[in-house]
Amino acid sequence: MSDNGIGARVTRVEDKRFITGGGHYTDDLNRAGQTYAYFLRSPHAHANVKGIDASGALAMAGVHAVLTGDDLAADEIGPLPCGWMIHSKDGSPMVTPGHPVLAQGKVRYVGDPVAVVIADTLGLAKEAAEAVSVDYEELAPVIDLESAKTAALVHDEAAANTAFEWELGDKAATQAAFDSAHHVTTLELSNNRLVPNAIEPRAAVAEYDAGLDRYTLWTTSQNPHVARLVMSAFLNIAPEHKLRVIAPDVGGGFGSKIYVYPEETVCVWASRKVKRPIRWTADRTESFLTDAHARDHVTTAEMALDEKGKILGLRVKTLANVGGYMNLFASSVPTYLYATLLSGQYNIQNIYAEVDAIYTTTTPVDAYRGAGRPEATFVVERLMEVSAREMGIDPATLRKRNFIKSFPHQTPVIMAYDAGDFDAVINKALEIADYKGFGKRKRESAKKGKLRGIGFSNYIEACGIAPSQAVGSLGAGVGLWESAEVRVNPVGTVEILTGAHTHGQGHETTFAQLVVDRLGIPFENVSIVHGDTDKVQFGMGTYGSRSGPVGMSAISKALDKVIDKGKKIAAHLLEAAEADIEFADGNFTVSGTDKAIDWTSLALGAYVAHGFPPQEIEPGLKETSFYDPTNFTFPSGCHICEVEVDPDTGVTDIISWTAVDDFGVVINPMIVEGQVHGGIAQGVGQAMLECAHYDEDGQLLTGSYMDYTMPRADNLPSFKIGTTVTECPSNPIGMKGCGEAGAIGSPPALINAITDAIGSEDLAMPATSESVWQALQTSALKQAAE
Amino acid sequence: MAMKMSGEYTLPADRQTVWEALNDADVLSASIPGCEAFEKVSDTEFAATAVSRIGPVKARFKGNVTLSDIDPPNSYRISGEGQGGVAGFAKGGATVSLADAEDGGTILTYEVDAQVGGKIAQIGQRLVNGAAKKTADQFFQNFRKHLSPEEDAA
Amino acid sequence: MPTVSMTVNGQAVSADVDARTLLVEYVREHLRLTGTHVGCDTSQCGACVVHLNGRAVKSCTTLAAQCEGAEVTTIEGLANGDDLHPMQEAFRENHGLQCGFCTPGMIMAAVDIVNRHGNDVDEQTIREELEGNLCRCTGYHNIVKSISAGAESMGS
Repeated sequence: MSDNGIGARVTRVEDKRFITGGGHYTDDLNRAGQTYAYFLRSPHAHANVKGIDASGALAMAGVHAVLTGDDLAADEIGPLPCGWMIHSKDGSPMVTPGHPVLAQGKVRYVGDPVAVVIADTLGLAKEAAEAVSVDYEELAPVIDLESAKTAALVHDEAAANTAFEWELGDKAATQAAFDSAHHVTTLELSNNRLVPNAIEPRAAVAEYDAGLDRYTLWTTSQNPHVARLVMSAFLNIAPEHKLRVIAPDVGGGFGSKIYVYPEETVCVWASRKVKRPIRWTADRTESFLTDAHARDHVTTAEMALDEKGKILGLRVKTLANVGGYMNLFASSVPTYLYATLLSGQYNIQNIYAEVDAIYTTTTPVDAYRGAGRPEATFVVERLMEVSAREMGIDPATLRKRNFIKSFPHQTPVIMAYDAGDFDAVINKALEIADYKGFGKRKRESAKKGKLRGIGFSNYIEACGIAPSQAVGSLGAGVGLWESAEVRVNPVGTVEILTGAHTHGQGHETTFAQLVVDRLGIPFENVSIVHGDTDKVQFGMGTYGSRSGPVGMSAISKALDKVIDKGKKIAAHLLEAAEADIEFADGNFTVSGTDKAIDWTSLALGAYVAHGFPPQEIEPGLKETSFYDPTNFTFPSGCHICEVEVDPDTGVTDIISWTAVDDFGVVINPMIVEGQVHGGIAQGVGQAMLECAHYDEDGQLLTGSYMDYTMPRADNLPSFKIGTTVTECPSNPIGMKGCGEAGAIGSPPALINAITDAIGSEDLAMPATSESVWQALQTSALKQAAE
Repeated sequence: MAMKMSGEYTLPADRQTVWEALNDADVLSASIPGCEAFEKVSDTEFAATAVSRIGPVKARFKGNVTLSDIDPPNSYRISGEGQGGVAGFAKGGATVSLADAEDGGTILTYEVDAQVGGKIAQIGQRLVNGAAKKTADQFFQNFRKHLSPEEDAA
Repeated sequence: MPTVSMTVNGQAVSADVDARTLLVEYVREHLRLTGTHVGCDTSQCGACVVHLNGRAVKSCTTLAAQCEGAEVTTIEGLANGDDLHPMQEAFRENHGLQCGFCTPGMIMAAVDIVNRHGNDVDEQTIREELEGNLCRCTGYHNIVKSISAGAESMGS
């Protein structure tokens, strides 16, 4: 292993600019003549818009425009699409009424944009917005998910507020499995609604160059090419060759910056109208209202087991809240990203899932770190833990008894797991967590008057979201391959152009590590170019833990081509047969001789082009690959959480957290551990702290950091991280992806630990001190003590 | 978000005097905290503008005030609806009832129901009840001063 | 518009600004020092932390006019030329940042924590002192580690 090749803990290249204040985020831009956009938003959850009077605002000096849904309609802009088709059980396509960019006649959540004011300064834009009057006719809000089917219609087209009623699996066979069961565990679970909360708020700067007839958009996007594609092919703003989208430094995404939102759409479109650049940056209250929310499921889950604890069947009935509109990838989250993972790490022959997607007058819900897989893991791992308790079997033992042990393994819910060693993972976790010593620690806690609990979560996820044919057959509107271009400069330095986008993941470092490993050139001679549609030809962006397994695989394939061409050139320069040329450590050599040419000389030779016939070899050294894998990747792992609960207050302290993951080949352990830490924190946030609360009128009560409880440093312990490795067989690097695992695996571990401590399963997320205390009041443990 | 609140005040004037004051646009205008404009549209309708501050959100509400269920000199309902621009909206009303007090004064009781939405609910929600209570207290303090200006002087 | 003058990162600066201008707007929009970030509107996230006369403040809730004549240090002024401040170095060495957006505020807050609690500040104190700084990427694990390491090297 070289000092900074695959497997090395290389400190990050990108850090220098971030620790010195030299990052370039969208809101840092200041274009000459820049104006400011301010969006007027609905204060009502559900209302007809009877009229908008902007005359007062338009009369103010320095106000350039007040634009509404009518103006967009006149230019035939929109609506915002949903990119994944789901069919209901009866074969009918999902009902997705249009999502107008700015409200057209109706608003469907508090924060739904109604008009935009564009003015010389932000202060003026806000003052002018005060002068716009909107005549609303209020309609009955639809907030409660479980009664939404019988409530007022959010969209006239969607009867019973239902977008689809979907199923997966064999209903009859699963029923038969339940009929023959020795034990059935049933749980009513809710997966709480979250707000993503990347610390950088969404922002956009748009500019129209009349001379070139070309738009440029700088925006906080995880996937600038997808943004351009949507704006071009679906929203009709400009053809792709007339629109450049740049995603510069982006301050976290977690899924929320995948989507094309109304604000950047309006800024691009309006920049031509006002003939000035336009900047918009969300304030945090706007982020709370309008960044796509997450999760929000209500599920009845059942597991059937035989007398030895062998799982016979699993069944779920889930209501998924999609909010006021079906967002870009929203339909895939509670379906193919959820129910396909309900087999967990276990050999379960019979699984049946029913999912109803429901419209409510709340912020649209879409993918957020894990997307569907945290919901699946929560179902499976709560069922495992509760089954173990109900049957009096040690929870680790019950899991081991049901593990899949041979691969490939076809589950009854589409996925074909290709590699894994779940025993190795849990054994390592049990050791790090000192599971054997738990009883003693529990007794010590009891002496202090504290309740100690331990909880497991064994997750598996399908990530590296890709195989285009597979996702296409499941309804995806796009292919999810990735592209890479390797440009070798005449001096031998290398620029890698990738369609992946880094917004915290450290691609500028890890991608370079791959190149160094393969080409044997100095680390500082490699740079990674991303996030600009004028530079990178195309790409699908970063989400679903795909940048490593898919994005780096594309780089690997392109590097193969570069090396192949290098060998051809070397054969000529060294006057040897191509078959005799070997490449290692940055040198092309003729095998069995001391004839060699180093990388830099070869690169120069490729561009000088004096030493090979043009009929045979083109000059230059640049190769491209579009890589499409043959399968998803399947990272797996085990989280063990230990808590102490104060029975008088319900306050829970996380005493220790162990996570052992199998991510396949690891490029940079330091970065991978960092991804796991962050994922766990978001999972702990979901399990213990965070929840988006609406009141019955549809007002978001948790709309700022004063009320939405973000995990802070003192809510969390330091984490104990371990890894095991089974290589992924479906990509050339053997890696599986690590970005989402922490958020997927962690919530059930924490809830399992707290419920173990308090002796009650009646505990919903977030397990705040109040709800833990409430659950304790009815727990058997408490009653036994009194 | 919705809220409810009620209260009772003893006023140093007879029931008829209190009733007349409750129907006097000038008195109402002077009593409403932060009132910038209060124009009579008809005997039972007024157009009003008032500035209100709830925690970090300051808004100028423009809207209509309507009197209904009028039962002189015993009770009415005063209700209003205001748009606070980007701060959101507030609407609601109060049922105000008068009864004779033993000392010749009047006991005024009120029951308020109100609803706010938008930024006020999002940011200021934990302060809304307190702010509403304070607004009501100020209103009745001002109203009481009008009925007994000499108390104010003393 | 009043003229507000102060010393920012060792340089005397002056600008005619609206009286309601916040310190963060002054440094970002008038001085074009965009390393200081705005992550919220309720003074909770700490992305905007700078030093005002040597103490950490949230520049999103400080009026520029309050800083008349003051010494302000932003993230751009922390390093000594090309030599990084030990706390900056510690964040890089310990992977104390991912997306980098909260990082300037974290580092400025971290230096202040060490100034107040000393070079042997313990993990629990660091975690409690970070109450006013949010990070969504790191789970704080490596931030706490960075601050411990930075505290130590600030003393040597």
